[in-house]
Amino acid sequence: MSVLAAINLEALAIFAVVLGITLGITYWASQRVTGTEGFWAAGRSITGFQNGLAISGDYLSAASFLGIAGLIFIFGFDGFLYSVGFLVAFLTVMFLLAERMRNSGKYTIADVLSFRLRERPARSAAALGTLSVVAFYLIAQMVGAGVLIQALVGIKFWLAVLLTGTFMLCYVIFGGMLATTWVQIIKACLLMVGILVMSLFVLERVGFNPIELFNEAERQTTSESTFSLGPGTFLKTPLDTLSLGMALVLGTAGLPHILMRFFTVPDGKAARSSVVWAMFIIGGFYILTTFIGFGARAILGQDGVEAAGTGGNLAAPNLAEELGGGAGTFGGDLFLAVIAAVAFATILAVVAGLVLSASGAVAHDIWSNVIRKGRDSEHEEILVARIAAVSIGAIAMAIAIAGGEGLNVSFMVGLAFAVAASANFPALVLALSWKRFNTTGAVTGVLTGVVSSIGLVIISPIVWTGPPGEADTGLFTWYDLNNPGLISIPLGFLGCFLGTVLSKERGAERSFQELYVRSETGLGAEGSTVTHAEGNGVAQPEDSTVATR
Amino acid sequence: MERDGGGTDGLSRRRGVDWDAAEASPEFQELVGARRRFVLPATIFFLTWYFAFILLAGYAEDFMGDSVYQGLTVGYCLALTQFLMVFVLGLMYLRRAENTYDPLARKVAENAGAALEAEPQSAVPESRAQRRGAASAGGRPEVQS
Repeated sequence: MSVLAAINLEALAIFAVVLGITLGITYWASQRVTGTEGFWAAGRSITGFQNGLAISGDYLSAASFLGIAGLIFIFGFDGFLYSVGFLVAFLTVMFLLAERMRNSGKYTIADVLSFRLRERPARSAAALGTLSVVAFYLIAQMVGAGVLIQALVGIKFWLAVLLTGTFMLCYVIFGGMLATTWVQIIKACLLMVGILVMSLFVLERVGFNPIELFNEAERQTTSESTFSLGPGTFLKTPLDTLSLGMALVLGTAGLPHILMRFFTVPDGKAARSSVVWAMFIIGGFYILTTFIGFGARAILGQDGVEAAGTGGNLAAPNLAEELGGGAGTFGGDLFLAVIAAVAFATILAVVAGLVLSASGAVAHDIWSNVIRKGRDSEHEEILVARIAAVSIGAIAMAIAIAGGEGLNVSFMVGLAFAVAASANFPALVLALSWKRFNTTGAVTGVLTGVVSSIGLVIISPIVWTGPPGEADTGLFTWYDLNNPGLISIPLGFLGCFLGTVLSKERGAERSFQELYVRSETGLGAEGSTVTHAEGNGVAQPEDSTVATR
Repeated sequence: MERDGGGTDGLSRRRGVDWDAAEASPEFQELVGARRRFVLPATIFFLTWYFAFILLAGYAEDFMGDSVYQGLTVGYCLALTQFLMVFVLGLMYLRRAENTYDPLARKVAENAGAALEAEPQSAVPESRAQRRGAASAGGRPEVQS
């Protein structure tokens, strides 16, 4: 199969076009971004619809596109369970956080968490939560990128990781949030068009009758296949399914790179409408992935399983090749190359968002506000941000290359969601809604969430695999959850609660009432530079909110 | 920075926003109550329906694998209802926010002595301005308005 053959020239050419466009955007953005508000929040100039696209671009990783299509191809219905959790999560984001984040924060989730708490400990805790989530998520994406590009284009794994990391850093360092946003918007459009065209090709084969597609997929089920139109083939223990479901539906509301997107719009109203746009885009996308997954089963059959690689990640590209006319034909090569380029753009947009949010935690939170106590200049904060981005990017690339293809991508993404749901989500929600919540509660909550979710994974069956041929047992036989969410999320809340009731707050400078009124009404929210964006772009060292920070 | 036209006056008033009074005002309580009357039941509903779906997938494999019509299973149909739920609740919240919550929020802001429209350019809560007052002299440019 040409998927695994040497260098794929069509793919290289299309990759080059996509990369050229993104670099052009980065140059355009670099001319416009100078202040911190430009660098972290794109000058708050992004509209609700644009941000909806960008959230989709930030959120739909290669794990969503190739991963879920592959899981549906191999296991059927269970792959679709992930999609449902990923989508329903946006209700949590909309009801509990979107507008409130925009109204009360500035650039990072730590701004919101520390608003009415003692700034330095609360900010440090939030930065720790952000960095833990990004660490797992970013390494997972880098490994995924390496594996896919290696398979699709034919270059070596380490070179693929290096290329991904380099472009990611270009966007973030030179173009900040503005370039990252537009890379995410373009990626979302490419991804939606790509999957729509592929779905139409698939549905055309069955006379545009999706039910016939399921029937055909079912007919391709042989005795050795794990495929089923019902559940239970991939997620075998109900408690594990529940645990994963919890991590997905609450974790999205704790993902720093998603929440950071709400600071790029002019006001709370735009933040709210951007979530609804994202729901429709992401929901439409996940419905289409089922056509790709079931279509791959119906068209490629059981014979295609081996060629689809680990987790079925290559099912979608292989299907594209088949739909275009088969291996070796011009149509087949071209369609494969297009889908490969879409997958590459997908990864780039996600990792850029991740690195930007991590560098926000280092530069804006830890350096500017904790170490320098707000006495640094904007110029200094952005310089530190760029250094932080390079360092974080380099570390992630090094770990991805050293850990190699052996790192389990979907497991690490699941872990990132679990850390986000256990550490960031409880602290953020309680800071915004529980009057008595205090600094000690925030710090113990985040620490409990991070330590429990990572600790539980370390003793889980995924790490402590059983002897070959036998079931994985985990370090202790009484604990067999692969995803820690079911236990670590309640522990995160418990940590927040106990820390609060067992301590006395002193020295908080702003009241809960101020945060409460501000988050609910937008009164006193960080301003927008949209009105004077033309001419001098978002580059102005704009308003007094920055001047007096 | 056209929005700062009458800004000095507005700014000083806003600096003095009495957050406790704003929080206690009937308009604010009405806003919070109205939002809660929708968000709380909606959240309970979506979490219940979502976890019911997850538990069915975990504990009632056979039922979920049953055919509704040929290859279309109960599980797939229930999954589609989750999508429908997300879209409907999203649009309902959007409509309520625009018709009910936003006007109330504007009223709270007006009563607090600052029109929401004028906020973006100069919103500086007092404590923040004081706390970081020293910082602006140290490097951040002071705004000219």
